[in-house]
Amino acid sequence: MRVTQNTSANQVLASLQTILKRQQTLQQQAATGVKVNNPGDDPVATQQILHLKSLSAASDQFTRNITNGTSTLTVVESAMASMGDVLARTKELAIGMSSDTNNAQSRAAAAKEFEQLRSQFISLGNTEFNGKFVFGGFKNDTAPFDLTTGAFSGTNDDIKVEIARDSFVPTTYSGETLVSGGTPPGSTGVDIVGIFDNIATALAAGNSAGIRAELGKIDDAQAQVMAGRAEIGARMNRLTSASSVNDDMKLSITQVVAGLQDVDYAQVISDLTKQENAFQTAVAASAKISQISLLDYLR
Amino acid sequence: MSLTSLLNTGLSSLNAQMLAIEVTGENITNVNTPGYSRQTAMLVNAPTTLFRAFPMGNGVRVSAVQRTYDSFLQGQMMVANSTSGQAKTVNSALQMVQPLFNELTTEGLGQTMQEFFSTWQDLAANPQGVPERQAVLSVGQQLVEDFHRINTSLASVKDNMNQSLEQVTSDINDALKQIAQLNVSIKQIEIGQGVANELRDQRELVVRQLSEMVGVTFKDEADGSVSVNLTSGQSLISGKDAASLSLTTNVATGYYDVMLTPPGGGAAVNATAFVGGPANSQGEIGGMLQIRDTTINRYLADLDELAYSLANEMNAAHAAGYGLGGTQMDFFTPAAGTAPPVPAATAAGYSALIGINLTSANQVAAASAAPAVGGTGNNLNALSIAALYNKTFSMSAGNATPEAFYNSLVGKVGVDVQGAERGESQTGAIVSQLNNQRESLTGVSLDEELVNLTKYQKAYEGAARVINVGTEMMDTVLGLIR
Repeated sequence: MRVTQNTSANQVLASLQTILKRQQTLQQQAATGVKVNNPGDDPVATQQILHLKSLSAASDQFTRNITNGTSTLTVVESAMASMGDVLARTKELAIGMSSDTNNAQSRAAAAKEFEQLRSQFISLGNTEFNGKFVFGGFKNDTAPFDLTTGAFSGTNDDIKVEIARDSFVPTTYSGETLVSGGTPPGSTGVDIVGIFDNIATALAAGNSAGIRAELGKIDDAQAQVMAGRAEIGARMNRLTSASSVNDDMKLSITQVVAGLQDVDYAQVISDLTKQENAFQTAVAASAKISQISLLDYLR
Repeated sequence: MSLTSLLNTGLSSLNAQMLAIEVTGENITNVNTPGYSRQTAMLVNAPTTLFRAFPMGNGVRVSAVQRTYDSFLQGQMMVANSTSGQAKTVNSALQMVQPLFNELTTEGLGQTMQEFFSTWQDLAANPQGVPERQAVLSVGQQLVEDFHRINTSLASVKDNMNQSLEQVTSDINDALKQIAQLNVSIKQIEIGQGVANELRDQRELVVRQLSEMVGVTFKDEADGSVSVNLTSGQSLISGKDAASLSLTTNVATGYYDVMLTPPGGGAAVNATAFVGGPANSQGEIGGMLQIRDTTINRYLADLDELAYSLANEMNAAHAAGYGLGGTQMDFFTPAAGTAPPVPAATAAGYSALIGINLTSANQVAAASAAPAVGGTGNNLNALSIAALYNKTFSMSAGNATPEAFYNSLVGKVGVDVQGAERGESQTGAIVSQLNNQRESLTGVSLDEELVNLTKYQKAYEGAARVINVGTEMMDTVLGLIR
């Protein structure tokens, strides 16, 4: 091949261009810390990264849902715990009143306390969280239980949150099942407000046998509230484990994205140094070539 | 053999070396002239004559000043130029498209889509919440605007390419006129004994420049002119006549049609379909047409389909639910009713039209039953809408979630950009390789010319010496007579 001044000049220019282009890419990678800056850099990795990022965003959303759910469930749980306490005191008092030895005065005092316990119990059924009545089902913007009659006006629906893809957990508990024992009251469980009403009637009539008859029902009522607490506890466990699964997944997604997207700094810096050396060498070599000419030797 | 013939022999050498030095000088001065091909003075010895039964030479003469030229290489360079011109244009256009879909560094449509469904999750957590309802509407509006923005930007890339056609067709017309003009000049010069080396260099340069703008083939004719045709066969240059390109606006599309008036006049034909070579793969004009008529339309079709399918699914799910006041309405306008997969014609332009149908936050349908009856805490519809993000829609390219479909569109753009970048650098490398080959074959080497210069100078000195000797001999002879 015949070599002319211009072929050498073009060659030098082309190789300098190539080196500069590589340098620019490496510099951009070093500056941004990311090796996929544009979809065109690596279309396949781009699609993977985008999908993983959307998984990661979904996982953030699930974390938020889990936090929301956990706080609602905590409120539900503590309301149920208080209901348990009220029932325990009711039982204690009912046992005291079940003997025939009580006089009218103590019965009147007990009637007052039963009245208190009843309204306390109904108030607990109207527990609010963030302005929502947690036992009201979908009608959670009005109090589900009537304070005087104890009648339930909410719905039996569960408000669910998504804690993982296609996995929903109810964050509320049906007030009707918990307090009234089904529709109509007492049809599937114990009508707890009914117990209070029966005790009040029996007390007013001085009917200790009637009170004794309610003792067994109070046990059932306690079991009914306990069952609710157990279910809420199980849901909270589920949320806790979902939360840790979610966190683990988020972490591994982040690692995979980093693997796809982030640059290996050691590699980039060493490549950059190599390119700089190459550039220097190319410049030096071309300067050397163009210095020598036949003109220097012709006189 | 006589003394005078000795003097004549010397003289012929003086003339020949002189001419050779002139050619060398021409080469040296044109060392950096683009398109210049080095020339060589071809020295041959003059016809011999018999002198006392011996054939004796009569000196030297220049038979021709030849220029180095390789017609095959010229053809190769034109093909490479065409591909390279197309690749450059496509790449620069796609570099404008890429940022629209760059979800890696900026927040784009994909992110907004995700946020949109995220607001539905938040709404599910608090179905009565005014801020949550408002968020659904405002992120929905953002989504609509993202669709509009990408649609408009893609359309403006098309407009841009359409505008560029004006420049490139006028450049092509200039080049064609120049070539036809040079054809005439070269023919005139060469009709005598002349050789129009420099003009031929110029013509080849213009033809190469032309080939970068549009895919062409050329043929050297016997009369010294070149004929230039489009790669699809239509004549652009025939002898002294040049074809010309013009643009007319196509009423249906609103974009330019490229019209070709054949050399020597005649009815213009619509060349839009073939001027860019097969699949618009040649020349800058091919690149422009390809981006305008094919590439961007593919992205737009996908965008439209995504907007349409999303609106379709969204409307079905939203209209099934109830707003706080019991309203049941579509979420997006215009109403999209065709069952997926959506035919392209139905969805066409939807990404530009899409809008929000709701006017107040109360109309956001989170509930699956009328709130007046079922309660305002009903979040079932919000949950089922939030789940749409992961629902596989039946799309033209198969079943895909909206996210996967959009990601594949981003991937498509990425693959195209990567291809265009590779195309530009590969074809660029081929062009520079061929340029080097051409330079190597026809370029001027200063060293070579300096050596020639010395060589011819010494020969010139020698010939002068011969004449000198001849003169002295003549003097000697004349001295005999005195």
